[in-house]
Amino acid sequence: MFVLQAHDIYKKFGSLEVLKGVSLQVQKGEVIAIIGPSGSGKSTFLRCLNYLETIDKGKIEINGEIMVSNGPNGHAVYSSDREISKMRRSMGMVFQNFNLFPHKSVLENLTMAPIMVKQMDRSEAEDKARELLNKVGLAQKVNNYPFELSGGQQQRVAIARALAMEPDIMCFDEPTSALDPELTGEVLQVMKDLALEDMTMIVVTHEIGFAREVADRVLFMDDGLIVEEGTAEEVIVHPREERTQAFLSKVLMAR
Amino acid sequence: MDYILMLLPSMFSGLTVTLKLFFLTLIAALPLGMLMGIARLSRIKPLKWFMEFYVWLFRGTPLLLQLLFMYFGLMTIGLRLEREIAAYLAFVLNYAAYLAEIFRSGIQSIPQGQYEAADVLGLNRIQTMKNIILPQVIKRVLPPIGNEVINLVKDTALIYILAISELSRVARTHVMRDGTFVPFIVAAIFYLIMTGAVQQFFKWLESKFDYYR
Repeated sequence: MFVLQAHDIYKKFGSLEVLKGVSLQVQKGEVIAIIGPSGSGKSTFLRCLNYLETIDKGKIEINGEIMVSNGPNGHAVYSSDREISKMRRSMGMVFQNFNLFPHKSVLENLTMAPIMVKQMDRSEAEDKARELLNKVGLAQKVNNYPFELSGGQQQRVAIARALAMEPDIMCFDEPTSALDPELTGEVLQVMKDLALEDMTMIVVTHEIGFAREVADRVLFMDDGLIVEEGTAEEVIVHPREERTQAFLSKVLMAR
Repeated sequence: MDYILMLLPSMFSGLTVTLKLFFLTLIAALPLGMLMGIARLSRIKPLKWFMEFYVWLFRGTPLLLQLLFMYFGLMTIGLRLEREIAAYLAFVLNYAAYLAEIFRSGIQSIPQGQYEAADVLGLNRIQTMKNIILPQVIKRVLPPIGNEVINLVKDTALIYILAISELSRVARTHVMRDGTFVPFIVAAIFYLIMTGAVQQFFKWLESKFDYYR
């Protein structure tokens, strides 16, 4: 049973075609890494999966429920807002720029959505939040505000905030790209721990090392298409496609 | 000195009129301006257009003319408002237009990422506005609103045109009757005390929001 299926996704921004028929099936517990050059459409694809962008054509199913599929005229037709928001509840999202709420303490950042959206009572939400902060190694920052934390700490809070909603699938959109190099390790470690707990994860990343070490499956995207797909070993170590080889040699050379 | 003491009772009664206009305008124009600022960004096109037109109209004409219109203008079409009511109405509508623009730009200055983060956590639009966006907007709009509030203190003097005896008009009456400039100086000191208080109040308010960046 797939927790997420995307079939033949097309998406245009104006006249620019960003996605030209992208498909992905994700099984429970799978860790998918999506790599590729800037402008390849990988972030857009991820954002389409949880409705931050709408698609023009294609089909997306989450836990067997159809979020969007092609109507009779061949254009994507979405389910009702109610249904979609129910489906999105099972997806967590971590952004490149953290997007923590600056006016809320670390604890409030984590408890807000469970209290307001899931009607969890405050003390339960706070216990859960403390537990999650402990897990990402930030138990001592409960009462701090985001601006008092380093980028790496902020991103770990953002991960904990997404986890507080108990999602089935965690999406990461270049989670370490905005970080100083010495801070990426702590975020990647938290993500590795999550993967070890069998969290289903879709990670758009430039961290080839992370993809290689943690991902069950690696997708290389370029120019709105999945060019190559397979295990980390297949795609990163022994890429078949020329474009994958060119990209990898560029990225690996830079380090 | 005796002269100043003699002035004070009538100056204070003028001050009362001024303060009443000041506070009533603020109480009505602040929430109205906030709602109008949100409406200007509405996805409902006619609402948005109407707000744009409204702001253009009330920012684009002198407050003095608006006062005259509310009183004399409406009178010619048979709508006779009390002078004070006409004054409040003009002030509220005028200041709401300025405040709407401040709130609009404040809302637009909040990064898109804040909306997206709230969205993926499942907050609806109203929850997002109320809990995520507006609290941050308020911190950002405090300095420009402080400016407007100080302007408001001084603009209250304009209602002399409707022959309402606010502070500056009382002073002028004394100047003309007594042939001395002193009442103007006393009035100026009153205004300085009021604007000084506003300034201190906003300084304090801004410091209340220092706990985050």
